[in-house]
Amino acid sequence: MATAQAAIEIDELPGAGAGATIHVSGDWTFGALRKRRYRLARIAADLQHRSAKSLRWDLTGITALDDAGAVWLARSLRTAEQIDVNPRYGAMLTQASQGLLVERAEGGLDPLAGVVRVGRAGIDFWFHLRDGTALLGQLVLDLFRVTRRWRDFPLLELSANVYRAGVSALPVTMLVGFLIGVVLTYLSALQLKRYGADLLVINIVGIGVVRELGPLLASIIAAGRSGSAMTAQLGVMRVTEEIEALSVMGVSVTARLVLPKVLGLAIALPMVSFCTDIAALAGGVLIAKLTLGITPAAFLEALPRAVEVVNFWIGIGKSVAFGFAVAFVACHYGLRVLPNTDSLAAGVTQSVVASVTAVILLDAMFAILLRDVG
Amino acid sequence: MSADANSQSDVETVVETVVEVQKLLNKIGEFVLHRELDFEVRAGEVMTLVGGSGSGKTQLVRVILGLKRPSAGLVRVFGVGWDDPSYARVRAARERMGMLFQNGALYSAFTVYQNVAFPLRERGGLDEEAIRAIVYAKLAQVELEPKHADLLPASLSGGMVKRVALARALALSPELLILDEPTAGLDPDRSDAFVRLIKRMRSEYRFAVLMVTHDLDTLHDLSDRVSVLADQHIIASGSIDEVRSVPHRFIENFFGGERGRRAFTAA
Ligand SMILES: Nc1ncnc2c1ncn2[C@@H]1O[C@H](COP(=O)(O)OP(=O)(O)OP(=O)(O)O)[C@@H](O)[C@H]1O
Ligand SMILES: [Mg+2]
Repeated sequence: MATAQAAIEIDELPGAGAGATIHVSGDWTFGALRKRRYRLARIAADLQHRSAKSLRWDLTGITALDDAGAVWLARSLRTAEQIDVNPRYGAMLTQASQGLLVERAEGGLDPLAGVVRVGRAGIDFWFHLRDGTALLGQLVLDLFRVTRRWRDFPLLELSANVYRAGVSALPVTMLVGFLIGVVLTYLSALQLKRYGADLLVINIVGIGVVRELGPLLASIIAAGRSGSAMTAQLGVMRVTEEIEALSVMGVSVTARLVLPKVLGLAIALPMVSFCTDIAALAGGVLIAKLTLGITPAAFLEALPRAVEVVNFWIGIGKSVAFGFAVAFVACHYGLRVLPNTDSLAAGVTQSVVASVTAVILLDAMFAILLRDVG
Repeated sequence: MSADANSQSDVETVVETVVEVQKLLNKIGEFVLHRELDFEVRAGEVMTLVGGSGSGKTQLVRVILGLKRPSAGLVRVFGVGWDDPSYARVRAARERMGMLFQNGALYSAFTVYQNVAFPLRERGGLDEEAIRAIVYAKLAQVELEPKHADLLPASLSGGMVKRVALARALALSPELLILDEPTAGLDPDRSDAFVRLIKRMRSEYRFAVLMVTHDLDTLHDLSDRVSVLADQHIIASGSIDEVRSVPHRFIENFFGGERGRRAFTAA
């Protein structure tokens, strides 16, 4: 299979302006054209300058043609008066020249793009609210239905979720909690030492950890770990049409997939934040001993007096709400994923951002509502 | 210019056997899927690979494509092994083949247009206008209209997905086209149109086809040679008539059944 070079020869007809015959021969394939691209570009430019009329193209010498070659020729042939071509290649040339004619709408610069964007964001927000409310309502209905038919209760999924979001999150969450406890205690100890108010460190660390930091840390890590996984799982199930398959089998998607996730995280997160509290307090005890010389026994004895037990329950209660919010937001975004990979990636990102935001908003609300307690 | 020409011909070799598999041993875990398997596709021919469901046809194609590394044996495509140290040679071999996956494998985030344009853009050397012309020519070849060009794969019908995937596989005018169940999921009319399309394209420029199919009509209309995969290796290879005369239970069932008789007596 010898490859002939792509060749093009221009035969001037006698007499000025009488025109020319152009003989094309050889292999007109992408590989062959690439070898001679500079020469061919020069010839194409040359042909552009000729008067459009009286060019005869003789393509009968072509030994091989592919799309790249056909498009090259089709572009030059636009000014041809007469074309001789092997019928074998006729269809390909016609298709290439028709392909050149198709218009593509180019996205120009829209002066109103900003307005459109804001409007779209507003509409999107409205859709989120609407769909979120619908999902919440559906969950409540599912919960009612499930309590009437316990056979339908997704117990297996629930326990799997508690394990995944709870037990397996403990190492990383407790490590972070311990380190935050260390940093918080160290910084407050430095300040308090100057005023001689050493023992106050127990109040600050105790309240801060039990009421705020424990639940907040646990739920932010849960948003990153479990929330993103939930969105991705539901999103992939949408991409592979598993969600549709479930609905066709008459299985409620919310009851089977969303409910166990939401309940699971609402159950797991208080336990995780309890463990985080302990780890953070351990960090506090260690640093209080090292910097202020407060013995662990003294620290633990003073703790219940410094921190009313209601603070602990507020922390646990908040964790339940945070867990619910993180899983709910994650599932909401997961179910909105469109069946393509871009939408999946965007959905996971938005889900994590939105659930962290939701947790912090909720925390602010709790802080205002419970400002007189504890 | 001459330096340019050299770099091209260095990596592209002209071979008579486009796919060459010798003494292939292919295991998945401890499970032996192929043993002592010899297989070849010659330049310009249509080779059809048949075999029972689960006999390992798709897995063999994956080995040929270099998606799975064989446990032992030789696999060469255009004379290049996938473990070849030269990136340029491997890449050139890849650009000379097109693949139609069993389920299309379109990029879900790209529109139809972008899917077909993707291999052209990756190869380089063409301007946007030429790419556009080729994309619309390919879409026309598989009987899709320009108005379908901006749809996302999720909003295509199953048959349309197949056709877009075929257009994408053909975009680089490959010398080897690999088709895994090309007509499964198409209506009989479209199957016939598919056969006609491949025939016409092969009359315009010659390329080899490796096709996996269960469809006897497609097999009968297109194949130059047939290979039968059973018992972990190729039990017969040759023209349809040669293969049909080989005594083996699978061959008798496959070609001898009612459907087989219909497909082969009609011609
Ligand atoms: N990742 C894997 N792990 C284990 N076994 C596998 C794996 N992938 C495929 N197999 C097995 O390999 C065998 C061959 O599969 P393959 O997909 O090649 O079949 P096929 O011949 O293409 O069948 P069909 O005609 O149904 O498409 C099957 O028995 C399958 O169970
Ligand atoms: Mg298969």
